Amino acid sequence: MKNTLTTLAIAAALLICQHALAFCGFYVAKADASLFNNKSEVIMVRNGTRNVITMSSDFKGDLSEFAMVVPVPTVLAEKDIRVVERRIFDVLNAYSAPRLVNYYDNNPCGYDMRLYEDSYSMAVPAMAKEELVSKKLTTVKGVHIEAQYDIDEYNIIILSAKESDGLQIWLEANGYKVPETARQVLEPYVRSNMKFFLVKVNLDKVQNRNSEYLRPIQIRFDHAKFMLPLRLGMANSNGSQDMIVYALTTEGRVECTNYRTVKMPTDRNIPLYVEPKFGDFYKSLFEKSYKQEGRNAVFLEYAWNVSPYTAVKCDPCVGPPPVNYDFVEAGADWITQGNFHQTIFFTRLHVRYSRDKFPSDLQFQVTPNNENFQCRYVMTYPASGDDFTCDAGQEYLVDLYNRRKKEVDELAALTGWSSANGSAYIREYNKHLNPRMRENSRNEGIPATIAQRTYRPWIVVSIIFLAITTPALISRKSTKIFHAKIQP
Amino acid sequence: MHTLRNTLVWLRSDGRHFQIIAQISFLCYGVLLLGWDADWKNYLAIFSGVIVAQGLAIRFAGFPMDSLKSALITGLGLSLLMKANDPWLFLFAALLAIGMKFLTKVNGKHLWNPANFGIVAAAFLSGDAWISPGQWGSSALIIFIVGTAGLAVLSNIKRLETGLAFLITFAALEYIRTVLYLGWEHDVFLLKLTNGSLWLFSFFMITDPMTTPNHRKLRIGWAMIVGAISFYLANFYFVNGAPFWTLFFLTPFTPLLDRLSPRITSFMWKNESTTKKHIQHQSI
Repeated sequence: MKNTLTTLAIAAALLICQHALAFCGFYVAKADASLFNNKSEVIMVRNGTRNVITMSSDFKGDLSEFAMVVPVPTVLAEKDIRVVERRIFDVLNAYSAPRLVNYYDNNPCGYDMRLYEDSYSMAVPAMAKEELVSKKLTTVKGVHIEAQYDIDEYNIIILSAKESDGLQIWLEANGYKVPETARQVLEPYVRSNMKFFLVKVNLDKVQNRNSEYLRPIQIRFDHAKFMLPLRLGMANSNGSQDMIVYALTTEGRVECTNYRTVKMPTDRNIPLYVEPKFGDFYKSLFEKSYKQEGRNAVFLEYAWNVSPYTAVKCDPCVGPPPVNYDFVEAGADWITQGNFHQTIFFTRLHVRYSRDKFPSDLQFQVTPNNENFQCRYVMTYPASGDDFTCDAGQEYLVDLYNRRKKEVDELAALTGWSSANGSAYIREYNKHLNPRMRENSRNEGIPATIAQRTYRPWIVVSIIFLAITTPALISRKSTKIFHAKIQP
Repeated sequence: MHTLRNTLVWLRSDGRHFQIIAQISFLCYGVLLLGWDADWKNYLAIFSGVIVAQGLAIRFAGFPMDSLKSALITGLGLSLLMKANDPWLFLFAALLAIGMKFLTKVNGKHLWNPANFGIVAAAFLSGDAWISPGQWGSSALIIFIVGTAGLAVLSNIKRLETGLAFLITFAALEYIRTVLYLGWEHDVFLLKLTNGSLWLFSFFMITDPMTTPNHRKLRIGWAMIVGAISFYLANFYFVNGAPFWTLFFLTPFTPLLDRLSPRITSFMWKNESTTKKHIQHQSI
């Protein structure tokens, strides 16, 4: 079991490392280093109009060249900016990641009494290297430095600008290399009266210079806008970028208001041989769903009421559920010591965005929707033992054969993987079938059906209902009859 | 051929027929193609709510049997727009929506659009209902479908100008702000405008003849005000689903506007001339 876990962990790590990270601001390098930022993670906390946003990036390159620009709606005070540990992202990620769940069949002939399940998550992200250059800031007319702070290992400047040209001149004069794509969108942010949150690394204060991770920055502000400025983040990335949003609210699910929020396919049975490549499986599944939904949807990967008073934090858990301390660290400060009656609702969204399909920044709303959701893929291990000679055992083998057939088709439908490898898997247990049953199963094997869109009984109910009632109720004859009856 | 012609005449005899057909198509589109969370219990609650409430009104308040068509439209409107955690809330919204029609009757019209009232009231009173402006996404196809179907409805009931006045005002203000003032590219503007919820609102909610002024010019002016306020709330107060909230607060002014033009009679759903033709066809 331990081996399997290790294999899965490696597979998962490989999956994630193939992406690099992205952001809701842009990175600006002084050298023309090719900086890719293809995947980023953001924790978004919303309580009324109070926002706490924690941004994590996997900047790869020389830390002296790290610089980041994020548009923010207000000038932030020093107390509203914090540097937090990367651990909080790992906790939230591991806890909410799509999960693979194993179940074990009982041997109907009575030999094996295992009845349990276990599960793994696919998670793990990546990060950066370092060095710093500091120099006197050049002033530019129309660009005002609203505030300047040294917070832990970061130098932070908050700028306001009257016009985008001035801002661009300021940034370039002060050593920020503004990508062409970002230049085009500076103006709308300046015009919307947004401020610019500039971050550089102060290498003297970097605690662990060997650390792979650049620690996340957390900002707090009070504003009715509930959005993530994607457009600047599209600056220096090739093609599509991925972003995972962990949202914590006092009420319920977070959903996007200017793009569709779509649930990932979940609770699907998949073949056992997927286990070592679960990471690849999810990647293909995501890719397929992303294309299927027109490349411009936001995907829901997790939604759960994780309030201190709820007993079931996950079903099953793939990582230890975050504790109150973690939520407070993430910015959900309404959960304070002794105040355990407050609600925290956790939403995980995954968006793969590109300039052509996501022209506008992501806008969100908090809804009262408190339905739990998780991405869960099920593997069912066959009963152990060799003795399936009893009648129930033989029936079990026929069911197993049919089940596996469905699993293979389901896998193909979900990921687009060829089902060619599945035939040996489907027939694996046929050797235990007696010849008569084997013949029957060949003839009667239920054709595998793919339940991609689940059967929705209400459609039938409502269509029949409408079909019958509409014409009948609105016809003039029925009107006359009805009125004749009630008004004799 | 004769039957087909008769059916068409019958369909055109009442603007609500096309509306019902269009709304059913949207619901099917949302559930089957967009994969909405569709719990049959919610829909059962909505339709039983509206039909029972309207049925009571027919039985005890002497409403015509064909007012059930209006109830059906309200039910479909709720199904298309409202989201809630609990089926009971859908029933509650449905009963409120229809109940309001009878409780707030002024000159044969009512103060709110029933579906709009149902959603807003349920959201306010329970805090557990909401609308999802992003649920339609924005593909050109949906605009085409919504637009043409909407036109069919409106050209028949002569309320096209209300929806257009709203939509054009809203779009013009958005264009001025998004593209001309802020300097975003055109596709940012298009994304805002291709939102299915906006189109549904423009052609299926604000156009409700029972809650819009009778006089044509007043109606256009009123719709433009709805458009302008929606734009303002959406852009400066970041209100999600702004048109729905704006409509809720502006339809009660309709009776006042109708007083300014007392000579124009209230709207009647049935198109009398086509109905007569229909009868003639039947007698032939």
